[in-house]
Amino acid sequence: MENGTFEKLTVLGEGAKYDVSCSSSGADRTNIGRLGNAACAGICHTWTADGRCVSLLKVLLSNDCAYDCKFCVNRRSADVKRCTFEPRELADLTVEFYRRNYIEGLFLSSAVIGSPDRTVELMYKCLWILREEYGFCGYIHAKVIPGVSPELLTQMGLVSDRLSVNMEFPSGESLDRLAPQKKPAQIFSPMRQITQTQLEQRTLKAAGNMKRLRPEGLNVGLGEGNLPDARARAETEDGSGDGGTGTAIVRDRRRRAYRERFAPAGQTTQMIIGATPETDLQIVTLSEALYRRFSMKRVYFSAYIPVAEGPELPSLLTPPPLKREHRLYQADWLLRFYGFRADEILTDEHPFLDVDLDPKVVWALRHLEQFPVEVNRASEEELLRIPGVGNTSVYRILRQRRIAAVTYDDLKKMGVVLKRARFFLTANERYYGDGAWDPSALRARLAPQSPQISLFEAQQHELLVR
Amino acid sequence: MNYLYDDTFEGFLTCVWHHWRTARAEGIFSDRGVYQLDLTRYAQSVETDQAKADIVADAIERKISRWDAARVYRVFCTNEPEKEMKLLRYIRLGFKEGPKIRLLHGHPDVLAVQKAEERFGAEVHRLCGLVRFSELADGILYGAIEPDNDVLAFLAPHFCDRFKSDPFVIHDKRRGKALFAHQRKWEIAAMGEDASVLFSEREADIRALWKQYFGVMETKERHNPKLQRQFLPVRYHKYLTELQG
Repeated sequence: MENGTFEKLTVLGEGAKYDVSCSSSGADRTNIGRLGNAACAGICHTWTADGRCVSLLKVLLSNDCAYDCKFCVNRRSADVKRCTFEPRELADLTVEFYRRNYIEGLFLSSAVIGSPDRTVELMYKCLWILREEYGFCGYIHAKVIPGVSPELLTQMGLVSDRLSVNMEFPSGESLDRLAPQKKPAQIFSPMRQITQTQLEQRTLKAAGNMKRLRPEGLNVGLGEGNLPDARARAETEDGSGDGGTGTAIVRDRRRRAYRERFAPAGQTTQMIIGATPETDLQIVTLSEALYRRFSMKRVYFSAYIPVAEGPELPSLLTPPPLKREHRLYQADWLLRFYGFRADEILTDEHPFLDVDLDPKVVWALRHLEQFPVEVNRASEEELLRIPGVGNTSVYRILRQRRIAAVTYDDLKKMGVVLKRARFFLTANERYYGDGAWDPSALRARLAPQSPQISLFEAQQHELLVR
Repeated sequence: MNYLYDDTFEGFLTCVWHHWRTARAEGIFSDRGVYQLDLTRYAQSVETDQAKADIVADAIERKISRWDAARVYRVFCTNEPEKEMKLLRYIRLGFKEGPKIRLLHGHPDVLAVQKAEERFGAEVHRLCGLVRFSELADGILYGAIEPDNDVLAFLAPHFCDRFKSDPFVIHDKRRGKALFAHQRKWEIAAMGEDASVLFSEREADIRALWKQYFGVMETKERHNPKLQRQFLPVRYHKYLTELQG
């Protein structure tokens, strides 16, 4: 290793850590090269002192950015040390870390060096060395630089497991204000190309349980976000488009199997929460649209950590809205694994998620007429909507029901969170909750018992909304 | 009647055979651990017999299922207290209920085995990420672990595929044995606690890079060591390169 590597790794790791995605899941591959494989479930290798996992070596190829996005640590006008990895240097480092089982693969992002195409060429060089010269079969997640040409994106997809294009902000106006050099069209066109290519390859898979989605969900618009391209996406969706937006990949049998597949682990995106005035309703609706239109694997949320000062941005003293981020992820899970629609989770009257209660409980309290649910008779969909009952418990309830009636004690053993669930279900016609059957009484029993903290958080929340 | 066996899987299956054919077992204990003398029961050493073990293994496969036979082995490899009696009860119930036994999540005998197996599976998965290799002077990768359960054989398929071109050793220091593997072939053999290892020249540099990177990746605004420990219990810290001072 060269002497400069230590410093580069420090600076470029620092620059990459605000990308939240760290999953190494979705690709399943045995070692068909010389080193490495990919496990479908993903593997975490360590956890940093903030409790977040490290699975991939997450670095920037360079932080020498041509753009001046106001929220970003690496913006042109910021006074930070600039450096750039040599493609081979980074490939060597990845292999050395991988052999010691420190990491599951590489997450490669970059600042814009000169132009998007030039940046992606350098990133591709590094990934090519890994795949072709070192026979590396581990996981690779590559960040797509908005504005990249379709041909280069195709090449990137062939050496990567997962691609991601960052939304950055939940609406076009915010993007325009805070990252003026990035255009919504530049973000959506690679997203569309990735989805289209996977459709052509028949490798497109929806996120989580989104196969459960009911058909009426298919026509969700992009909400208040006013992001363009809705029409083009609709064409892709119903098959009336020309279908040629993805660059066709001719399969070449001589190539190694991992090169035949275009981004087998799909695509993800992320957006920053709390730097801009969008409501949770807008954010969740946008996520839903991304899942349905592009069959994204994940939409990540990143609580805004003030790294730059500016009239457009929250002050440097603003704490990151971690609780809000947490509730948004819970809502995201409801979309992906529980068959909820965005307009069920949030409404125009309640455009923000409740900080004290998880969104599933909030939904149940608004729809008490559908409860309590008898666990021995309810359908799979109805069971999934009981707070405290997850996919695994539903699966176990359904399996046991075929053999014997499910009792309250069984539920406990199956992993149902009875602390919440007992208010919303009956087992063999018996109700196990206590207290009055109305939303405010139930709410009082389910909400955490610490008024000071929730008051403090409500203030925080208000600050961020403003 | 308490049975004492030699801590092997075959030995345990022989105990199961004797439970049926000779005398009911009230307790089955390994003779490697400390056996608490029980004045109310006779204790008898059971001699491991491959033929008897085969009969029981075969019966489990035929009368319950192949999947349950594998499950019995997985649970046998755990450190679950009184795992032998729990497994015996599971097998007895299995002979009665047949392959549907795995659906009876609510039954206490099934639940006990299922929970032990879950913990075992979780540790295998966790260690797939937590084994840390170091490069030795002759290019071999060496990693030490002290797992709760006897997981070596279950780590083998994952790592043998991943590092098929590199010879590597995973040393279970708690049990004094190690997994030796090269080019997808592997075996488990005894390896002493005090086996000394000589690292390659660049090993220290790579470790320094990794430690630096690990420190940088923490977002200070989100500092949350409690959450870290939840995912990464302290008992695993000992062999993690990034957490060594």
